Order: sequence, then structure tokens, then C-alpha cells
Amino acid sequence: MKSKFPELRAVRVGVVVIAILVATGWAIRSFEEPTWRVVRAQQPAMKLDSLQGALGQGVTVGLLGGFRAIVADFFWIKTNSLWEESDLPATQTLIKIVTAIDPRPLYFWLNGSRMIAYDMPHWRIIAKGGYDAVPPAEQKRIDSEQSTVAINYLREGFAYHPKSPAIYLEIANVYLNRLKDVAVAAEFYHEAALQPDAPYYAARIYGELLRRLGRKAEAYAWLKQLYPTLPRLVASDAANGEKSATQRQREEFIIETAMAPEVLMRIHELEKELKIAEQQKFRD
Amino acid sequence: MSPMANTVPFSLNRLVIVAGNTFLEAVRQKLFNFLLLLAIALVASAQFFREFNFGSSELKFISDFGFGAMVFFGSTLTIAATAQLFFSEIENRTALTILAKPIWRTEFIFGKFLGVFAVVGVFCALMTLLLAGLLYHRESGLMTMHPEAFEHGRIIHYADLVVMGMLQWLKFGVLAAITLLIASFSNTNLYTVVMSFFMLVICHLQYLARDAYAQVASVPLRLLVQVLGYVFPNFQVFNLADQIGVGSGLDASVALHVVVYALIYIGVIGGLAVYSFSSREI
Amino acid sequence: MTNAVPSAAIEIRDLTKDFSLNLRGIKLRAVENLTLTVPEGQVFGLLGPNGSGKSTTIKIILGLLDPTAGECKVFGVPSRRVDSRLNVGYLPEAPYFYRYLSGMELVKFYARICGVTGKRLDARVAEVIDWVGLSGAAKRRVGTYSKGMLQRIGLAQALVHDPRLIILDEPTAGVDPVGAAEISELILKLKTQGKTVLITSHLLAQIEDICDRVAILDRGRLILEGNVTELVGQRDRQALIVDPLPLEQLEELKEWLATRGHTLNAVEQPRARLDQLFLSKVSRSPKGGKE
Repeated sequence: MKSKFPELRAVRVGVVVIAILVATGWAIRSFEEPTWRVVRAQQPAMKLDSLQGALGQGVTVGLLGGFRAIVADFFWIKTNSLWEESDLPATQTLIKIVTAIDPRPLYFWLNGSRMIAYDMPHWRIIAKGGYDAVPPAEQKRIDSEQSTVAINYLREGFAYHPKSPAIYLEIANVYLNRLKDVAVAAEFYHEAALQPDAPYYAARIYGELLRRLGRKAEAYAWLKQLYPTLPRLVASDAANGEKSATQRQREEFIIETAMAPEVLMRIHELEKELKIAEQQKFRD
Repeated sequence: MSPMANTVPFSLNRLVIVAGNTFLEAVRQKLFNFLLLLAIALVASAQFFREFNFGSSELKFISDFGFGAMVFFGSTLTIAATAQLFFSEIENRTALTILAKPIWRTEFIFGKFLGVFAVVGVFCALMTLLLAGLLYHRESGLMTMHPEAFEHGRIIHYADLVVMGMLQWLKFGVLAAITLLIASFSNTNLYTVVMSFFMLVICHLQYLARDAYAQVASVPLRLLVQVLGYVFPNFQVFNLADQIGVGSGLDASVALHVVVYALIYIGVIGGLAVYSFSSREI
Repeated sequence: MTNAVPSAAIEIRDLTKDFSLNLRGIKLRAVENLTLTVPEGQVFGLLGPNGSGKSTTIKIILGLLDPTAGECKVFGVPSRRVDSRLNVGYLPEAPYFYRYLSGMELVKFYARICGVTGKRLDARVAEVIDWVGLSGAAKRRVGTYSKGMLQRIGLAQALVHDPRLIILDEPTAGVDPVGAAEISELILKLKTQGKTVLITSHLLAQIEDICDRVAILDRGRLILEGNVTELVGQRDRQALIVDPLPLEQLEELKEWLATRGHTLNAVEQPRARLDQLFLSKVSRSPKGGKE
């Protein structure tokens, strides 16, 4: 192509290239938008302002540029090495940074809260001279402080994992094992048991705690209603030879952990304790 | 134009011949050493995660790192290979000998593109295969160690893994087209590589400009932000699921949309590279 | 195919090519108002010092550059068009081919680009490699070739589709005299096959031996064009070459000439050209090119 101004060719090419790119971007937007919305929905917003101080600019660009999961992984590994050194402030900060970067893996929430609630009180007591040197009241205060931090942290997780039985269970565990608050723990086990895909033991422990709280009638009613929902070994299952070995193994595992016979045993025990009439007793 | 009919029509065959030669050149260079090194690094890093006792989450770490390696090294390979294979033609004057034959510049540019795309395709396929193999092997091990975590069967969606590998390949295709476009007017290999990396970052952050658009008060600035949002393709749509086994599986129709999105951009940007290259004095 | 003058392989008319050096419009005029015709079936030398516009002219003929003004046709087809290159073979100056390909693969690649296919492909590739004398090295990677071999494999790729016009840009640059002589021989062979050859060189002695016609460019302008014998032959002089004459016989000869109105201008010992001496002493490499 001849041009009177060959020196303007570069400019002309540049203008045409940009113009066509803008036109393409504009024309394709309506096609791309629905897909982008789907992708976007899977990527919860990052709390960038809380991160920018902690991360360098390069890491921030990496985060925004789609390397989010891997950056979170790196920070988690770093958290683990700090945890090994019992460095409380750094570990606690990093635990929160990891979930601020990528709140999607439940693993981060659960394991982070365990470090806060179970390991950190131990570190603090050791730092103050050990279990013999720190009075029990002080130990209890430390336990309670750390548990509160862990529970608040786990509650934040609900924003990304609403109705996650695992988070309910984790909170319940902290109440039960660290704060020794059986009543609140029972409520959280109850919530966990009500969620879809909850493990069977959540409901079983709820029943058990009701009994421990002296609410035996409630426990009895709960377990009676629970028992029929539990998977049990049925004769036809055992005879089913078509299933693969791993599938059968998995089913056996599920049946085993559902502990239906134990639940039935509890029901019978409660019937004795509640003096339930023979004809009203639970029948399998 | 002369009234005479042009007797050399566009030929897909010639395009494929150029592509085959480009592929061969890349393969006979150091590509496979590079791949081998990466594979070793991947297997080694998978072993490394065993140290931490992550339980079933170890799979997440393996897949994140494997996938991260694929994205990072795939981008590097795409940019470096495209720039190198283009400039070796210019610097070694082989472009002169080819273009002095009865061949269209369109065939030459798209041939180069297709060659690089095939190379990156082999890379993605091998990495996906390796990653899937590693995950399967480790998952089987973990299933016997922690059966409670696998109550619902395997955690990893292997079909999704393959789809994701494919989507990354397509993203690298768009990236290769962008690199070719830059190479078509740039004078040096280094400039092309630096600019392409710059573009790679911008295309990943393009969505930020779109997000910011509504919040910009000044009208000229808002227009500029809007234009920026239109100029660059959105590379984030290719991260359809950067979490394997987290959340629900991939939606096939969404994946298909992304494929079409990539193909349109490859066509348009490749066409622009041809346009820019056709006026280049070599 | 065309009604334009059938005897011209290349027609260049009023060709000008400017290169812009920067955006402010400073230009470099590489070729200025060049008009040139290369007749079919001849060996045509395009001569000139470095930077005289030879390579630019060749690139315009090959459609690699667009002219700023004027036109250029190859066998009657404008050189911008892809089909103008159907019958053209080209060997660039100091080519570096794909080093990772063997000589055979390289020539085959170019042959396929040119549309040579099927059974003809292998036969033609083998034929042309044999013709340039590289059969023995055809399976070796091009990266291991010497400069002379590179030039010959370059010639093979230029010839593989049997073009009517062959353009050679400095084909003997950097090649030793043996290699250069071999290339000259090949060019003369091409001429006997009826091909048109356009060759650029600054080794004028070599060009003189093989060209029918030459054009000399300087700073983009044509300063001389014509048949070699017409341009360099001195028609008002003649040289006699005889056995050594004793002094008295030489005096007799001078007198004999003087009585007939002629003058003996010079008596010299004829010298062989150094390149010819070199070639007669140095053994040529056997066919197969194991250099």
C-alpha cells in the first residue's frame, strides 16, 4: 500500500489495532458478562485493605492476577513453620491473613482455629513459667481468651461457608473441650446435625450432651428420631456382590462410624432411666 | 489492484507446513529438558507436602502448586517461545527466504501461531496428565489413611482437571496471539518479551478497571477506564475453577462460552498481527 | 498468463524507495527513480558499493518491501502480488537456515511451501541436492554446515520448485575461492538451462566472467547499464600473445609495425589471475561436500 506519509504508518497501525481491540471488547462484552459473573461468584472478595500492609506489592499483584490459591498456600506453609516455633503473635496474624487471601478452603478455617484455641494457650502458659507456676485461675483465663478468639474467627468463616456443619462442629468442640460449656456446645452440635451432609456423630453427641445436661426426655426423643435415619448393615447389602471392593469398604466405614447399635443401646438405657412403659418402648 | 486474477489462493496446507516447522524447531530446542525439569520439580514438591501432615487437604496443596506451576511456566513458555520463534526468523533471515516464496503473510503468521499453540498444547497436556497422575496416586494413598475424609468418594474431579488444563491452553493461545501482535511491530526480542509479560498482567487485572469504572467521578477519566476495560481481554474468565474439589463441579456450558471467547480473541488478535506484519519492512 | 513484454523477466519502472528514519519525517532514499529491464534467459549482474540500493531493489522485486513510487513487475505480474513469486527462487545474502533441520529436511520444507507434493517431492529434493553437490551431507543438520555448504543448500532451496528466475544476493560473499568458483559454475549451468539469473556482488572480477549484462548502482541511482563485452572491451586496442622474443626480433617487429602506421604500446609478461592459480593448485572437494 502506498502512502504519502510512510513515517505515519506505525501510528496508523497502532490506531487501527487499538480501535479494533476496543470494538471487539465492546462487542464481546455481552457474551462474556454471564460467564464472568459465574466465575466471579466463585471468587469471594478479598479484604485487600487488611492485606496490603502485610504483603508486598508484587504479592498483591499475584493475588489479583489469579494466583490467589497458591499465595494462600504459601502463607499457610509459612504459618506452619511459625507454629513450630510457637511464635504466637506472628502465627495468629498469619492465620487470619491466609483466610483473608483465600477464604474458600474450609481446611484453613478449621486448622487455624485449632492452633488458636488448643495450642496457643499452652504456649502462653509455658511462656509464663509452665503449668506449675501459673495459677489455675490464670490458666482458665488464658484458655477462655484464646477460645473466644478462635470462636470469633470461626464465626467469620460462616460468611464464606454458610451452614457449614464442619464450622458448627468446630465451635461446638471449643465450647465443650476448652470452655467446658456443655449447654452451648450442645446447641452447636444440634445446629451442625441439622445441616445437610452433617456427619452422623454430630447428632449422636448432641443426644449424649442432652443426657449429660439432665435433659433426658429430650435426649430420648432426639435419639429415637435419629436412629431410623442411620445406615445399618442389611442382609441384602452384604449379599450384594456387584459393588467394588473400595465402594464396599467405604460403605462399611460409613455404617461403622454411624454407630447405630450404640445409639440403640443409649435409647434402651434412657428408657430404663426414664422408666418408659414396656409397650411404649422403642422398637427397631 | 491488477485486473488479473490472483493465481495463489490462501492455503491451509502451507499454513500447516509453517506450523509443523515451527513446532519442530521448538521441540528440537530445549523444550523437553524444560518439561522434564518441571515434572521433576512437581513430583518433588508433591513429596514435600507429605512433611506437613495436611491430611486430605494435601491434595489441595498438590493441585494448587501443580496448577500454579502450569499457569506460571506455561505463560513463560508461551511468551518466550513465541518471541524466540518469531525473531529467529527475522534475525536469521529465514523469514526472507520463506516470504520470497509464493506464500501469504497471513499463512506465515498463523502458521507461527499454530506451531506455538501446538507446543504449548503438548506442555499443558503433559502437565495435566502428570498432575492428574500424582493426585490420583496420592488420593488413593490418603483414602486408606483417612477414610473419614472420603465418605463421599474421591475429592478430586478429574474431568474438571482436564477441562481446566484445556482452558489454560486456550488462554495461552490468546497470549501467544498477543505476543505475535507485539512482535509484528517490535524490533527486538527483549522488548517483545517484556511487553508481553506486561500485557499478561494487565489482562489478568482487566476486571479491576471494569470494577472501578462505576466509581470514577470525572468523566474523561471514566471514559479512559472504560476504554481500558474494552482494549484488553479478560484473562480471569479462564480461571473457571482454580479450586479443584472445592465447591461444585464445572458447568459445561460456561466452559464452552470461555472456549468461544478465547477463539474469538485468537482470531481477532491474530488478524491484527497479520495486519501489522503485512506493512512491516523486513 | 500475461500480455506484457514476454521477453522481460523483470521490469522496473521509475522505482523510488524511501525509508523513514523517525516519526519527524527524516527519510533515507535507498533507490531513486530506477528503470531497469532484466531480459529472460540472461545472467544479469547488479553491481554497486555497499549501501547503493542493490538489496533494497531485490527486496522490492520479491515483494518483501513496498515501493514508495514506481512499479516493479516479475514476468508481467506486479511484485506486490503473491503470484509474482511463483517462478522466482531466491538466495539471500549470508543466509542462516533452520539449524535444527537436516539439509534434506530443509529443502523439503521449502519445496512443500512452493507446492511441490507427492512423489515429485522426494525426487525433486534429491535431484536438486545432488545438483548442488550436497548428496553426501543431506542428512546432516544444517547447523554443522560450512559457509560454502550453506550457500549451496541455499541455492538448492531456491531452485527446488524449478523457477524461471533465480535471484542471488551476494552468493559468494564470505565463501573461499574454491566455493565461489563452484557457485559460478552452477550459475553458468543455470544459464545453459535457459534460466534467468539476477546476481548482486561486489566481486567484480567474478561477475565479469559470468554475466551477460550488468547494471551499476550508486546511492540508489543507476549510473551504467549494458552488455559486459561492450562495457569492458577496448575496441581500439588489441593484444597479441606470443612466445618469448629475443630483443633484436622485438625491434624488427616494432619497425614492421611502424612501416604500417601502428605503434607497439606495451610489452609485458602475461600473468595468470591469482584465483585461477589458486584453483589449479587447491584440490576441489569431491561431490558430497565433506568440508
